[in-house]
Amino acid sequence: MRLPLRADCGWAKGDSGANALGGMYKIALRMLLRDRGKYLALVCGLSFATLLIAQQGSIFLGLVLRSTGVLQNVGQPDLWVVDPSTRYILETRPVGEQFVGRVRSVPGVAWAEPMFSNYANVEFADGTFKRVQLIGIDRTTLIGQPPEMVEGSLEDLRAPDTVLVEESSRPKLNNAKIGDVLRLNDKRAVIVGFCRAKLGFESNAIVYTTFDNAVRFTPVGRERVTFILVGVKPDADRTAVAADIGKFTGLGAFTPEEMSRRTIGFILYETGIGINFGITVLLGFVVGLAVTAAIFYQFTLENLRHFAVLKAMGTRNSVLVRMVLLQAGVVGMIGFGIGCGPAGIFTILGRKPGAELAPYFPWQLLALTLVGMMICIGLGSLLSLRRVITLEPAVVFK
Amino acid sequence: MSALSAESTVRVANTGESLAVELRGVTKTYGSGSTSVHALRGVDLEVKKSELVMLVGPSGCGKTTLVSIISGVLGADSGVAKLFGIDWSTLGNEQQTLRRGELVGFVFQQFNLIPTLSIIENVSVPLLIRGVREREALERAAAALTSVELGDRTKSLPSQLSGGQQQRVAIARALVGEPRLIVCDEPTASLDGHTGQVVMDLIKDTARSRTDENHRRCVIVVTHDTRIFHYADRIVEMEDGRLKKTLSQHTREEAAHVPRFAEESPSPAEASKP
Repeated sequence: MRLPLRADCGWAKGDSGANALGGMYKIALRMLLRDRGKYLALVCGLSFATLLIAQQGSIFLGLVLRSTGVLQNVGQPDLWVVDPSTRYILETRPVGEQFVGRVRSVPGVAWAEPMFSNYANVEFADGTFKRVQLIGIDRTTLIGQPPEMVEGSLEDLRAPDTVLVEESSRPKLNNAKIGDVLRLNDKRAVIVGFCRAKLGFESNAIVYTTFDNAVRFTPVGRERVTFILVGVKPDADRTAVAADIGKFTGLGAFTPEEMSRRTIGFILYETGIGINFGITVLLGFVVGLAVTAAIFYQFTLENLRHFAVLKAMGTRNSVLVRMVLLQAGVVGMIGFGIGCGPAGIFTILGRKPGAELAPYFPWQLLALTLVGMMICIGLGSLLSLRRVITLEPAVVFK
Repeated sequence: MSALSAESTVRVANTGESLAVELRGVTKTYGSGSTSVHALRGVDLEVKKSELVMLVGPSGCGKTTLVSIISGVLGADSGVAKLFGIDWSTLGNEQQTLRRGELVGFVFQQFNLIPTLSIIENVSVPLLIRGVREREALERAAAALTSVELGDRTKSLPSQLSGGQQQRVAIARALVGEPRLIVCDEPTASLDGHTGQVVMDLIKDTARSRTDENHRRCVIVVTHDTRIFHYADRIVEMEDGRLKKTLSQHTREEAAHVPRFAEESPSPAEASKP
């Protein structure tokens, strides 16, 4: 029996390092992918970790974003004018109607309309009641109108004692339909249509009516304007106009983005939601981290002897490190991809109109989850790599 | 270009050293204080380039430590350990690893094949480590497997082979990269008597396959298996971290009178009896 003799192997001839790495990368992938039990365990663990991070993150974001529901429903204004100490869109101090005129007189303001927002109770025949979010919009311009009509006509809102009900709130109002009469704060309110709008933080049913009807349904004294919605002239600078409104009226004028930030900041820092939910998300991350790191560490440990053999046969530490990182990267990406699937489905299902959960899954969360996963797998790899780098090849003789 | 330059490879090839292994006063201690174990206590050993040397001795006498130091997978605490004229202590870890890959092939008791790789992929690994292109590595691995009579099992996984077949794969893997030293750690310990003889035949044949004596491979075998002693050019007996006795092929004939070796080392004719 004779072996083929080749003294001129690529190494001695100076074959490129890329060849060496290419071959060893394939070996690393085969070690990973062909060990199906461990590979599946790794992918399942990483998918679960991804799902945990992404799903908890999307619920948290959805919940926070939900607090800006009123803002999201109103697309027309460039500025929201409110009491300057307003911290949260649903925690407002109304101002007098004379402020609407004052705001209109500020240079750069194209239009300014009042908007009413407050809570009201709908009483049912059986003696029970439901709290609703009552939105009052200007009767003439209908600025502040809901984003989308589902049934009925928006113009019907101009008729006396009429209201529009947010579509997903029908069950909360005993499956109301057009023509039904609601007993709203002990006043008569006729449903003339259904619209689609984002529910607020408390998920109360939203009822739209005109500003005049709203202040009649919910008497609040002389200061009845919750928000003044402002359109800025096309050639005017929004920030400068906002500053001028503040200067001339003493009110606060905020862009929708600023108002959103204020609201989200309030939810995060002024309520327990930020800290409580933050801990939950962090726990999800930590559990994901622990699961991922432990599984990958275990996988590498079980392959440690093979790495020792490779080392004994002449594989450099740097190559072994890249092999481990490649394995980590591949299972990380596959686990991430699979884990994102259920998280995405959960988001789609959760965002159906009227769903109490409102997960929000922007690409930033996706990217953050990927970064989180890579940190998890990176830490798992670091632990593993420490073992691989300090591995004595002499263990192959044991 | 690989970290080990072509220049250094040439230098090794042209050293003109007649010795493959040269150990001078090598010591190795594991642990420290009262729990320390002196594995080697000043070992001197020379092995010629084409020699087949067997290291024998009781468990814990330092055989494995010795071959680990010879093959560069373990550093000595003191003394000089040279392989083909290269002093391991003068090389950094990275250089040691590269030299080891170039100069040494391993055959282990537990075969140490990677279970998720087919046997042809296992055999190709030493070549891939050296940067040989995959296609060429697989071709050469297939040829190596054919030479150990496993050319028809190239796609099999190690778990689908018997112990003897796995050891033949390990031998093909050890030899495919053309190493100048083959270190075998108890190569027959996991095999039955007949398969052990087949494996040793293979090791000896492949090590001696070159007609030019200067380019024959050096083979060092750690073993307890008395049935394979007759394959050795020289048997080195160790005890308590020291070399106790060395018997060459010639002196082994004389050693028939030494009770222990007479009992342990059968003649080739006796060993080949079923």
